Amino acid sequence: MLVVGATLAALVVAMVCGLVIGPTSIATMRVIGDVFSHLGLGHSTLTPTQSEIIWQLRAPRMVLGLLAGAMLAVAGGTYQGVFRNPLADPYLLGVAAGAGLGATIAIVDVGGAVVTPSWTPILAFVGALLAVAVTWAIGGRGLRSSTATLILAGVAVASLFTSAQTFLQQQSSTTSLARVYIWLLGSLASASWSSVTLVLPYVVVCVVICVAAGRALDVMSVGEDESRSLGLPVRRVRLIVIVASSLGTAAIVSAVGLIGFVGIIVPHIVRLLVGTSYRRILPISVAFGAAFLVFADTIARTVLAPSELPLGVVTAIVGAPVFVIILSLRRPMAP
Amino acid sequence: MSSIEVLGLSVRAGSATLISDVSLSVDAGTWCTVIGPNGAGKTTLVETVAGLRRSSHGTVTLSGESVSAMNERQRALRVAVVPQHPTIPFGMSVHDYVSLGRTAYHGLLRAPSAADRRCVGDVLERLSLTEFAARDVATLSGGERQRMVLARALAQATTVMVLDEPITGLDLRHQIAILELLQNEVRECGLTVLATLHDLTLAGQFADRLVLLDQGRLVLDGPSGEVVRSRELAECYGMELRVIDVDGADVVIPVRH
Repeated sequence: MLVVGATLAALVVAMVCGLVIGPTSIATMRVIGDVFSHLGLGHSTLTPTQSEIIWQLRAPRMVLGLLAGAMLAVAGGTYQGVFRNPLADPYLLGVAAGAGLGATIAIVDVGGAVVTPSWTPILAFVGALLAVAVTWAIGGRGLRSSTATLILAGVAVASLFTSAQTFLQQQSSTTSLARVYIWLLGSLASASWSSVTLVLPYVVVCVVICVAAGRALDVMSVGEDESRSLGLPVRRVRLIVIVASSLGTAAIVSAVGLIGFVGIIVPHIVRLLVGTSYRRILPISVAFGAAFLVFADTIARTVLAPSELPLGVVTAIVGAPVFVIILSLRRPMAP
Repeated sequence: MSSIEVLGLSVRAGSATLISDVSLSVDAGTWCTVIGPNGAGKTTLVETVAGLRRSSHGTVTLSGESVSAMNERQRALRVAVVPQHPTIPFGMSVHDYVSLGRTAYHGLLRAPSAADRRCVGDVLERLSLTEFAARDVATLSGGERQRMVLARALAQATTVMVLDEPITGLDLRHQIAILELLQNEVRECGLTVLATLHDLTLAGQFADRLVLLDQGRLVLDGPSGEVVRSRELAECYGMELRVIDVDGADVVIPVRH
């Protein structure tokens, strides 16, 4: 209960930070007053410009951060459960490599243009899903196909897609190379309400499915044969869970690029705090991941303002010490 | 009425034939133990009966229903499995572990019902595990752990239980304890048991019937006393065996030359 309360409190604080902190300083209470005024309580004291900054720049960015953090964390936790592997993360089956290749094709294709084309997310999304589909086709068939086969297929597909991406990059100009690189590092800078509404349905559906799979993943912790003998349709559960995690991750990655670390480390932090049951790990990872990513993004966009740190770098710099501290306070447990 | 019916069963893995043309039937409320040397196909046989392996030929029926036609949930409601090397999940309590046996009843999206919780409580009580209920499964001794795995299988409340070497790695006292618990379920509750055992003396003492497998074929099927004294048994192991009657129990001893 303590952990749940603390996580929800952190989530609220993260949301406030996401709205309040920025290059234009606006008093916290006035921002909160403005939020309440939108709910029909009281009157806003913000100027139109300030309101614009809050609602057109910071709010969509904060919401996209919440969605990305929640999705990546719950997908990572789900993958760790379904593969019974502590090193599993949402990019395990090739989502990252596929999205990377898709984005690279989109960006290098336009040669000398100075902007990343608007259809980059679409190609990234398609690439991500294609990579997972190929992985599943190679490694996921057959009643007794093991998760090890699937992971190896994921490794193979990821290397194939990555090498294709490297080849394209090597053939491309330095400017487009830089833009590919920036895209790959992940950022919430291009967040808008339209990108939020684009990924929202995927994230909501996929997060709900992943969280609902908690009980099934707990059963799976005794291994595939045993969980089958306990009545679990292992293959179907695995397929549903992998499709949900991958689809949600692909949607997020296409919107914000590759943000590392959240998917692997947040579920582990939560596991250390609440134990090994996925019925607890997954819902708390949703809130924890969301709060964590919004905090990380607040740091990313303020430390070197007006320029930004890559979000993936911040998640690792902030996440690693947090993880080490919790690890040293608690006895480590395998998933 | 026979509870387990195996008819002309063959199982292949790639080009290897693991068991071929095995037929046997086990009456409801009786205990049948499969014996035979390593590689005889004992594990394959019990796994196929439990529906965890597909047969290449032949059929397995449980109370008249084909195992291969059932889905996982239907199977879990009819046959419980105690595997040879159960996976012990980290960080789970004994109570939660035993509750996994009720999965097929409450499903994957709902919490265990009051009836499920009552059943788990009963089983824990019956197997003297109540005091361990809150303990982490990883902290149990070998004997306690095996009792817990048996409890999970009993929580499934099936009419058939399949056990693969359920007493491996246990000391003598714990071996007898597990087998007596099981015998009690057979006698008191009418459970049908199909087990594999390496210890021929214990196999003979606790089963109503022994089935001898060798190289994937059924060699002998009969009452325990007859099978342990048979010429075929010694031949399958390639050893001279002597059977001594100790207070009415057959003790099988290998003779060394």
